[in-house]
Amino acid sequence: MALDPPAERRFAEEVGPTVRRLTGVVGVALGLSLVLASCGDGKSSGSGSGDGARSTVIAIAAEPLEYINPLNENGSPGIQVAMAMFAPLVTTDPNTGKLLNVMADSVTPDKNSQTWTIKLKPGNTFQNGQPLTAKDYVDSWNLTAQGSTAWKNNGFFSKIEGYDALNPETPDGATPKPTAVKALSGLKQVDDLTFTVKLKVPFSQFGLTLQYFGLAPLPEEVRKDPDAYKRKPIGNGPYKLAADWNAGDDIKLAKWDGYKQTAPDADAITFRFIPNADTAYNEFQAGTVDFVGVPSTKIKSFKDDAPDQWVTSVSSGANYLTLPAWDERFKNPKLRHAFSMAIDRKAYADLVGLAEPAKALVAPDMVGYRADACKYCDFDAAKAKQLLAEAGGFSGPVNINYSTTSATGQIFAEALGNMIRQNLGLEVKYTGKQGSEITELADTRKLDGLRFSGWGHDYPSIEDYLTPMFKSTGDANFSGYSNPKLDQVLAQGDAQPDPDAAIKLYQQAEDIALEDMPLIPLITKSDAFLHSAKIEPRVSKYVGVSALWATFK
Amino acid sequence: MIRFVLRRLLAAIPIGVIVTLGVFALVFAMPGDPLRELAGDKPIPAAVLAAKRAQFHLDEPFLVQYLLSMKDILTGNFGTTFAGADIADQLRLRIPVTLKLTLLANAVQWTLGLIFGIYAGFKRNGLIDRSLLLVTLVLLAVPGLVAYFAAQFVFGVQLKWFPVSGVLEGFPNSYLLPALVIGVLGFAGLARLMRTSIVETVNADFVKTARAKGLGEQRVLWRHILPNALLPVVTFIGLDLAGMFGGAIITESIFNLPGLGQFMFQAIKLKEGGVVVLLSTLAFLSFIVINLLVDLLYGILDPRVRHV
Repeated sequence: MALDPPAERRFAEEVGPTVRRLTGVVGVALGLSLVLASCGDGKSSGSGSGDGARSTVIAIAAEPLEYINPLNENGSPGIQVAMAMFAPLVTTDPNTGKLLNVMADSVTPDKNSQTWTIKLKPGNTFQNGQPLTAKDYVDSWNLTAQGSTAWKNNGFFSKIEGYDALNPETPDGATPKPTAVKALSGLKQVDDLTFTVKLKVPFSQFGLTLQYFGLAPLPEEVRKDPDAYKRKPIGNGPYKLAADWNAGDDIKLAKWDGYKQTAPDADAITFRFIPNADTAYNEFQAGTVDFVGVPSTKIKSFKDDAPDQWVTSVSSGANYLTLPAWDERFKNPKLRHAFSMAIDRKAYADLVGLAEPAKALVAPDMVGYRADACKYCDFDAAKAKQLLAEAGGFSGPVNINYSTTSATGQIFAEALGNMIRQNLGLEVKYTGKQGSEITELADTRKLDGLRFSGWGHDYPSIEDYLTPMFKSTGDANFSGYSNPKLDQVLAQGDAQPDPDAAIKLYQQAEDIALEDMPLIPLITKSDAFLHSAKIEPRVSKYVGVSALWATFK
Repeated sequence: MIRFVLRRLLAAIPIGVIVTLGVFALVFAMPGDPLRELAGDKPIPAAVLAAKRAQFHLDEPFLVQYLLSMKDILTGNFGTTFAGADIADQLRLRIPVTLKLTLLANAVQWTLGLIFGIYAGFKRNGLIDRSLLLVTLVLLAVPGLVAYFAAQFVFGVQLKWFPVSGVLEGFPNSYLLPALVIGVLGFAGLARLMRTSIVETVNADFVKTARAKGLGEQRVLWRHILPNALLPVVTFIGLDLAGMFGGAIITESIFNLPGLGQFMFQAIKLKEGGVVVLLSTLAFLSFIVINLLVDLLYGILDPRVRHV
């Protein structure tokens, strides 16, 4: 499924503070907080991009993009660029966490949250001058929902009625053929500025998902021949391409004067791609970029390297220790609670750096987050031992899997292993594997023992933590957890049109998951960014750090 | 001579098959699914996955995948990377970057290596010779990774003599710092070899004979000592030049130079077998050509091994 703008989800061995994934479809998450942007401070850029009073050079620690098409993009680097060039239907107010309309005039669910009516504001156009209409949304979405188009945000539309007709089962090895049906039956244009979306089942959070930049509309000429516009996208957002953009070039954007909604401060923005995060950091220190994400290697030193020029924000994501539901030895919830209480989260968070102990299954920047939701997440060695005894002990060594892709994987695994060994008196062993291999083993239910996992939401709702990871059919349910009671409460929340009542239901689901504890909450990380003296990045409790929306001093 | 060249080129064919097959097998054997790697852990819709698999032949058995890759390479139909980049375009952009870096670095390395090596060889046990031994010992002990980052920090970030990374300032500015570091690190081995070779040759009987028959020092040096002393050095330079590509993987990543090394690094990370094999084939071809040139040069320097 796809995700939301502020955040892309990923289930990774380690949620790092920077954009680690270089070409990830997926990526990274952590929302606006991952927007690694940087601004040329104009004095030594040497690139010619830093001229002008309000220009920003945004460095992205990733391989250069190959195309700009938000509908075929769900990695953090691509979405970051899309955020500047395209405008979403709705967005999260950085001050209040409430939903704000951008392109949409209103988004209204029916009684049971199954059919949604979206009305657009009049007078908005694309950067080629064409008016933005409901047809542009309907046709762009239909094009993406068609399986044979093979665009990455295809999965987002699977909640909409008629998706299956556009995505028939393909036999292994066959290329999907375009289907006779070209349109989602649940997507209907009412008039020039109104369209309706009928979902397969009620889903009260659908309005929130509409802020994802991967749902951007494409104008007709682009829809006809998307390949021809790979490197000259036509957006509907505050910035447009300022110069030709060729392979390997920086992406240079200038303010588009046709944008009628609230726009960021900068007159010009340059995205510079520097795949090596340490090199990007050095570029910042040399004064050639003004905003950069702090790589994990610099967590301990960045405050000295750039005094008064750093910001941090709680990373929009959560980190867990995952227990395998397919291993009988871990079945007893008391044993799971024993493991949880044997972990000294404070010590572990200090080791990781820029982290805080977590006692909930959802991220702290979510509406509906409860700081002390977990009753079994306080460090208490005696209680842990007692619970373990009540559960009948544990046979054999506890295996902890860690990712060798990350430099710190083994260190963190051993830290946790030592806590389990000392506080529970169990034998512990460690297995290092590639991150993707661990995921694959877990997917096929063959993984032996514990693993680390992390999750960043796609849209800012606690539902986007609970459904993917804890619903029995959840698409990131890598612990293999299943509890019909929880599925039922989630379904009730999905059908509940009143947001506050829905959150209450989702919190009930979180409580059930905490009692069963397929995942043990570990820590919440923060992301750190450096910025030059001339800008002040926007820092929001709800959407993290944004360089795009920085203010100039 | 022509027969020699032809024989060498023919012999390269089976070696090429073994090399490419081996490299492809290694990439194939890497754990994890390439598309899963590309997608992180986010579930990709089945239809998108199937389309991608078919596009990149990932659903075929190993040998078929290999043969399809080789066919694409031999017919010049390179296709696109997993991320959607046109590979032919990438090569056009990246080959000049790597060539500029490699040639500049080699120029630095050969100049330093030959000058210091020859001088130290003739003035054995002098101040230069002794300092050279000490300096090269230190240089040989410094790991490249450390030197690159240290140089970037000191000369790029602190002193601002060179750009920190990237190719925005063009040639040669953007390439100077990495080339200097590679060159300085690499010159140590070359200088030592050159010195030793000179020292050995200076004491050879034919040099004594030359001196005994009254030849001037200059003539002894240029006609008798140098050509003979250069023989092992030429071999070394040939191997070193061909091996530069491997070093470029690290250098280009740290200095953000969009060359073949960075491309290779990315392809390995994403398990893009086709790209890795293509780049390995390029490296292999340059290796074969350079070594052929070295062997021909060898014949010119030393008539004893001349290929008639």
